[in-house]
Amino acid sequence: MLEVQAIRVAYGQATALWDVSLAIGKGELLCVVGPNSAGKSTLINAIAGLHRVSAGRLVLDGQDISRLAPHRFCGQGIALVPEGRRLFTEMTVRENLEIGSYLGPARRERAASLERVCALFPALVEKLAQPAGALSGGQQQMVAIGRAMMARPRLLLLDEPSLGLAPGIVLDMFEAIRRIHADGIAVLLVEQNVSMALAVAQRAAVLEEGRIVAIGRPDELMARPELRRAYLGLEPGVEPAIA
Amino acid sequence: MALPSATLLAQAILAGLFTGALYGLLGLGLSLSWGMLRQINLAHFALAFLGAYLTYELSSRRGVDPLLSLVFIVPLFFALGAALHWVLTRFRVSPFNSLLVTFGVTVIIEALLQWIWTADYRKLESSYAEHKLRLGPLFLPLPELITLGLGVGISLAVWVALRRTDLGKAMRAAAEDAPIAAAFGVNQNALALMLSGLNAALAGVAGVCIALAYTLSPSQIYAWIGVVFAAVMLGGLGRPLGPLIAGCVIGVTEAVTMAVTAPSWAPLVSFSLLMLVLLARPGRVA
Amino acid sequence: MKRSLLLILAAGAGLATVPWLGLPAFYESILYLVLHWIALATSWNLLSGYSGYFSFGHGAFFGIGMYTTATLATRFDIPFLWTLPAAGAMAALFGTLLGAVAFRVQAVRAELFSLLTLAATFVVATLILNTPIDGGPGVYMSAVPVPAIGPTASGTFYLLALAVALLTVVAALAVYHSRFGTGLFAIHDDEDVAEVMGVPTFRYKLGAFALSCGLAGLVGGVQALFISYVTTGDTFTIALPLTVVLMAVLGGTRHWAGPIVGATAITLLLYSFTGGDTAIIGKGLTGLVLIVVILFMPEGLLGQALKWWQARRGPVAAVPPAPATAPAAASARRPIAGAGEVLLRARGVRKSFKGVQALRGVDLELRRGEILGLLGPNGSGKSTFINVASGHYAVTAGAIEFDGRRISGIPAHRIAHGGMARTYQIPRPFAHLTVLENVALPAMFGAASLDRRRAEAEAWQWLAFTGLSERAGALPGELNLHQRKFLEFARALASRPQVLMLDEVLSGLTPSEIDEAVALIRRIRDQGATIVFVEHVMRAVMALCDRVVVFHRGEVLAEGEPREVMQRPEVVSAYLGQAMAPACAELADEAPMPAGVAEPIHA
Repeated sequence: MLEVQAIRVAYGQATALWDVSLAIGKGELLCVVGPNSAGKSTLINAIAGLHRVSAGRLVLDGQDISRLAPHRFCGQGIALVPEGRRLFTEMTVRENLEIGSYLGPARRERAASLERVCALFPALVEKLAQPAGALSGGQQQMVAIGRAMMARPRLLLLDEPSLGLAPGIVLDMFEAIRRIHADGIAVLLVEQNVSMALAVAQRAAVLEEGRIVAIGRPDELMARPELRRAYLGLEPGVEPAIA
Repeated sequence: MALPSATLLAQAILAGLFTGALYGLLGLGLSLSWGMLRQINLAHFALAFLGAYLTYELSSRRGVDPLLSLVFIVPLFFALGAALHWVLTRFRVSPFNSLLVTFGVTVIIEALLQWIWTADYRKLESSYAEHKLRLGPLFLPLPELITLGLGVGISLAVWVALRRTDLGKAMRAAAEDAPIAAAFGVNQNALALMLSGLNAALAGVAGVCIALAYTLSPSQIYAWIGVVFAAVMLGGLGRPLGPLIAGCVIGVTEAVTMAVTAPSWAPLVSFSLLMLVLLARPGRVA
Repeated sequence: MKRSLLLILAAGAGLATVPWLGLPAFYESILYLVLHWIALATSWNLLSGYSGYFSFGHGAFFGIGMYTTATLATRFDIPFLWTLPAAGAMAALFGTLLGAVAFRVQAVRAELFSLLTLAATFVVATLILNTPIDGGPGVYMSAVPVPAIGPTASGTFYLLALAVALLTVVAALAVYHSRFGTGLFAIHDDEDVAEVMGVPTFRYKLGAFALSCGLAGLVGGVQALFISYVTTGDTFTIALPLTVVLMAVLGGTRHWAGPIVGATAITLLLYSFTGGDTAIIGKGLTGLVLIVVILFMPEGLLGQALKWWQARRGPVAAVPPAPATAPAAASARRPIAGAGEVLLRARGVRKSFKGVQALRGVDLELRRGEILGLLGPNGSGKSTFINVASGHYAVTAGAIEFDGRRISGIPAHRIAHGGMARTYQIPRPFAHLTVLENVALPAMFGAASLDRRRAEAEAWQWLAFTGLSERAGALPGELNLHQRKFLEFARALASRPQVLMLDEVLSGLTPSEIDEAVALIRRIRDQGATIVFVEHVMRAVMALCDRVVVFHRGEVLAEGEPREVMQRPEVVSAYLGQAMAPACAELADEAPMPAGVAEPIHA
């Protein structure tokens, strides 16, 4: 469904992504893991249209969307749950959700979408009238996911949803992600928390210093050394000295 | 410093409300520009006076009813505002530099006004000025009532629009986090142009009100800048009802001060208030 | 500087002969006005152009000077010339009072300061108007005798204006070349970084403001007698500050001579269109000029001209003082004595931002001569710790001691003087200073506190050390990311710190650039520096760090030798999640931990 073809993304002079390619099939759940500053957020932001690719292409259902203006990506069926939530803190929870369904087609189904989001996250029902900035971290994450779901996307992008959340809430959230995926929506999940990500993924990729160094099924990746090296700096075969 | 009678005090409060409504009307466009678009539009005042002079011209030369001239002024000013915004974004002018650029625009407009209408004082003679309503012992002149009505009405309308309509919510979202708003389909550039046009149109409306109640002279542009900025900052940037409420607070305190002491003490009130707010709660403003 | 000074004095001497040349009075008037505005614009620029704090209250202090002279001369019969110093002093005093209050508030920057000073103008005007100082009718000065300095009264005023203008210009020149001026320019570009590098920002801003106001007061004093009828209406308007801003911006705010160019140009422009219709055209033209300059020539006329001239001359081959002392000499000055003793100690450090607890009780020790790595997932508090230790933020609770002295809670510039330096993850060089000046600044204001010449020599050394010598004359905007990161290094080193804190210096670099940076960091440590190193690039951490501290959710999770720490189950769990912990425990050649212990510490 979505093909990322050898994209290169730069911030000013710093190149954050080098020739990154991957593909997400219809209804697939793909995870991208990797340490900080590996470029995970850059990748998601590029796919969401927030950031221009300087080389390579983004192809959605055969159509090249790389040159579209940022506000046109949502209309293509791509919705973003940004890193750090980035809710509109001055607006209420309901208003945040409504912005999710700002565009025409989604707007028409706003009421139905709202019901679905409330069914997904029952805890939000009583918070609808509160300013988004007053909610706890976990609740804000729910609103952020809900906001994206209101756009009725075909592809949901999640950027480090577990960031700053307590482990119990993280479990609930990944459960919600699993349910969203079960409804047939393709999901691209970028995560620092490797074990949770690999537990839900159908396929996963490891990003290190702006390049994809491994890609495959979760159980394959767990056995390979790239993960440990990327996160912990431990080279395979080196005997660690024990204090 | 004798305490004035209750009637005089009440009349003073009323006068303060009328002035306050005009401060609010003038401040609304400025507050929205600054709070939501990060542009400090000093030219707002000059635009208002341009509107005032146009109203005067249409009324005295062509006999057009001042309120009817709104039909002509609103679209014209909308276009002017959008054009100004386009220039400021095209050249990526920083918020501070927008202050300087719009000062340049102010000076140009002032020169234009002086060129066309000379520096002589001009007063719009309209039928409105002759009507005064009575509320017990109090007088309510019609032009001032119109101003109050427009000020309150428009502020409320903008408030409702920002709160309730999708477009208003989109503007608020884009003002807080434009890239993420774009991720949900909000076209920030188009909205900003619209908002700028609206703000300039508001300046035009304020101009009509000024023409109805005040004597016009190009140099008068500068007399309003200080106190309206005070109203804008006290009311909180980007809040539609802010300039109106703060404007009325300032207007009433000024009027009461004038009634109780001498008129010349009035500016002390608003500007001291402004300084206090700037020092005590700067975060709330910028 | 000497050349400019001589030029100014020569021009002054030349201009001083004008009253005796027998020109029509019209010319003396025009020149008076030009000098009057030169003085006002230059004095304004001293604070606002140099430091970036645009004051819209210049009219207030001009007015205070005016009314001081008016009051002293008419009310107390003090000879006019003696009132002038008083006028300057009163204006300076009020400026100091306002500044002392305004600059204390951290958030008052740019627009807020402008509005605050504008508001002050109206407050002062109202007070003067309503008290016996003016009282309403204004002050008539016609009875005050004009001192006989020149052949005529207008000649005298001209000479007085010339004297004040000369004084102002010389002051601007002196500040421009001084340490004070360099500090102001740094404040302009990035006040927070300037403070962290040792510039006493509050003192400098206050000093510049007081000086600027005092000079404006002097101009006001002279003007009082010149116009001989003083009212608040004409003095305390918004027109004066706006005109002054226009003149300085037109000429160029970054140069001491910019306002001279602007003031001359605008005054001549406005007054060559005198009378009736042409005056209006002149006014309109002024507005147009301002817009064009802001949009197309943000450097101002003089600034733009200087840029063209420099481009014409070709890239300035800045010459290093011969011979460039090798870094080896620097290491001789730095004994690695006391290696192992505790240099920095943090106890129970907490930091909250608006309800978010970034640090929840951190205990940490840094030993002399080591490279300590600070690690942890995103949001765990590593960068916040650096910001707190360097004084960028204040601690909410807890204490940090450096070299035995408590540093938590003292202003950042004093922490810098104590020997702490840091780099920024996203480089924050002073955009308008050259690479050399960027590196020289911390040498001037940091722990070493060198004078300019020695600071520049020191800067050359560090540029050589980091390989940036050839780019010494360039502006930071012309460097690529790698070079800008190395500029951060050079800046941090130039203050000769005991402790160097590096905040994610490697992010965004290519693998080979990372290798170069790692080698550089090793060389820095070999010179005797103690380094705190926040990083995510794990191979660099493994290669460099003697010890690591792992942060997790604002607390210290683990501490010790890198390889050993990175295999502890709780650390692996924090990074990779619980499922991976057992797999790594097998690597560690220990018996797998019971399931209960492998849980994350915080529920």
